[in-house]
Amino acid sequence: MDIGLPKRVIEIEPASLPVPEPAPILEPTVEPIEPVAPDRDRPTPAGEPSRDR
Amino acid sequence: MKTATSFGHGLPVRTEVEPILAWRSWTLTGRRDGDGLLLRPVTAGSRAWRPREIAQATCRLAWSHEAPHVDCSCGLHATHDLDLLRRTRCPAVLGRVALWGRVIEHEHGYRARFAYPQLLTLICQFCFWQESAAASRPDVVSWYARDLLVPMCVRHLGVAETNGMRPRRIIPAAIIDLRLRETYAVDALIV
Repeated sequence: MDIGLPKRVIEIEPASLPVPEPAPILEPTVEPIEPVAPDRDRPTPAGEPSRDR
Repeated sequence: MKTATSFGHGLPVRTEVEPILAWRSWTLTGRRDGDGLLLRPVTAGSRAWRPREIAQATCRLAWSHEAPHVDCSCGLHATHDLDLLRRTRCPAVLGRVALWGRVIEHEHGYRARFAYPQLLTLICQFCFWQESAAASRPDVVSWYARDLLVPMCVRHLGVAETNGMRPRRIIPAAIIDLRLRETYAVDALIV
């Protein structure tokens, strides 16, 4: 492809670069939830099987 | 805009703050599943334009000058006129690019130090060669060896297959077009 003869030189210093921001790194921002231990003091409702076996 | 005195090679030098917008075409590579899309210059052996990174010109004569240089052909090329790109080899993607840094303006285009695409679209290179950009709407993207992706209309896909260019995989063009624009974070070029 021939773009012809050079005509002039342009020095361009843009105030802001026409380039998108880098792609975001997708990491969890919240700490994973700790597993909750069963509440042994809670009374077992009627009809629900007891966990203490 | 500010005009400076001539330097070195007798060309006038101007200083500006707004990037220049110009036309450009690329070939396209990517994986079989359509991921890993990469714009590559139509000139073999040139560096790929990586997503979300500024493309920077280099020259094999870099030991003697910075690209672009007035007395060399180095630099990131773009044109004033869209139709001039119809002479390029294997264009798969058409776009408007922003150019900045040192830019040498030629009669029909530019050579720049820095660039990044602003608008992109896939084209059927066969329709582009024969007719125009507006007539080159691809229906599919054919995946070939070396991860080469070739957008084509259905008619030219048939011609390619008849002539032994049987693709290893065919992907809907709309999927690759959208993924390309997401990858480079640019808008669609309407021609």
